[in-house]
Amino acid sequence: MSFLLRSTAALAFLFLGALQSVAVAAEALTTNQPADNLSFVNLDTMKEVARIKIGGKPAGIALSPDKTKAYITSPDSRELVEVDAVSRAVTRRLVVGGGPVGVAAHPKRPEVYVADWYTHKIIVVDTNKFAVVGNIAVGKSPSGLAVTPDGRLLLSADRDSNTVSFVDIASRKRIATVPVGDHPFGITIDDAGSRAYTANVKSDDVTVIDIAGRRVVGRVPTGRRPYAVGLADGRGFSTDQYGETVTAFDLKTLAPIKVIRACDHPEGIEADATRHNIYVACWGDDVLLRIDPVALKVTGKTPVGDGPRAFGKFLR
Amino acid sequence: MLKRLAIAAAILGSLPAVALAHGPSRQKVTESVEINAPAAKVWAVVGNFQDMSWAPDVAKTEGKGGNKPATNEATNDGATRTLTLKDGGVINEMLDDYDAKEMTYAYEITKVDVKVLPVNDYSSHITVTADGDNKSTLEWKGAFYRGYMNNDPPANLNDEAAKKAVSDLYKRTLAAVKAKIEGGK
Repeated sequence: MSFLLRSTAALAFLFLGALQSVAVAAEALTTNQPADNLSFVNLDTMKEVARIKIGGKPAGIALSPDKTKAYITSPDSRELVEVDAVSRAVTRRLVVGGGPVGVAAHPKRPEVYVADWYTHKIIVVDTNKFAVVGNIAVGKSPSGLAVTPDGRLLLSADRDSNTVSFVDIASRKRIATVPVGDHPFGITIDDAGSRAYTANVKSDDVTVIDIAGRRVVGRVPTGRRPYAVGLADGRGFSTDQYGETVTAFDLKTLAPIKVIRACDHPEGIEADATRHNIYVACWGDDVLLRIDPVALKVTGKTPVGDGPRAFGKFLR
Repeated sequence: MLKRLAIAAAILGSLPAVALAHGPSRQKVTESVEINAPAAKVWAVVGNFQDMSWAPDVAKTEGKGGNKPATNEATNDGATRTLTLKDGGVINEMLDDYDAKEMTYAYEITKVDVKVLPVNDYSSHITVTADGDNKSTLEWKGAFYRGYMNNDPPANLNDEAAKKAVSDLYKRTLAAVKAKIEGGK
């Protein structure tokens, strides 16, 4: 019996070990909008390893909690596209209508949320049935979406209302709005679920929101036309599209630390799981950049498809 | 007959995603021209944000702030210019980045009627690169959205119309700069 248990445990260990080796092959998935495809970049070697056709001018991206599936918005074909990130193939497509842009996955439920730019709502998609199961009214032209780590709240950056909507996921109802800067686009929630950061395209700043208090705690000036915010090592990083820079700021004092020369139209930004690197999709230069969040320097760069946006969570 | 109807319905059902395919997708246009002249000579012609007389469409450039880039749209502390075109159209622009050493600058359109140029949120780069001592490349690269920002744009304000308008403008302007410099005028 004990032998059996032990060998089962050993087998389980081997099996987990095999799974682990799949999971640790860290990758970035960039939605290349004009090229209509998706690039897979190995983050250890900083080399593109695969490129697959998506269609419909892909922009937004979210990953399933186990990171084996990617959910991609294609605004031109008005679709949500499911990609098997392991076998690197499109598995299902769903016409959701309107202008799907931002997308976020729930940390536990089989649900993804799609922001509809034109009809001012969030579309709830059941990822098992791959069907629309609900709509949630929010502000005008919802863009970026983010879910709190506890899975209770969905936050929506409502670009043309200059607000962030707080949605209660259980009841699928908007329960609060917080005014932010002009034209918030990307929204990022920290790992603790305590603060949210919006990149405000028109007011050239980042708004910092206390999620529990549902109030603004500060603003950080950025370069021209910030698109999204990444978080790593106690610092925030905004991608400044027109400024062609990444502005680093301190998360405690909210003071800017350094403006890093980046690329033409830096857009999607995310820190890897170890938080030792931050990655930026450069729409204008067709590259993925790696930035060291401590040294505040660009440490790597690799070509991807034409016009990477990677709007959302794109690292696995 | 029924079968044929069913096939027609299936075809029609699959059409909307293709036929009505539009959304908020930023467009990109890059054009360049090789010029038989040193890079410094080309930069001397195109490198001043306050003088766009090198573009044949432009009748007049009026502006302020020299070649100092703006840090913020709200404070409006950098260089701006107003272009009056030969056909009467007016374009307001702001300088975002300027590097004389690298011979490059970036600017954006702050206001333009879609009848003048069918675009929204337009920004662009002008760069001169040396290809040896007596040859250079002048590149013009633009990023913009189409003229009609909602779904289902009319043909004159769709993605293709925006790309064509910008691409045609770049091509005829670059050709004119090449002719002007190589012609020694």
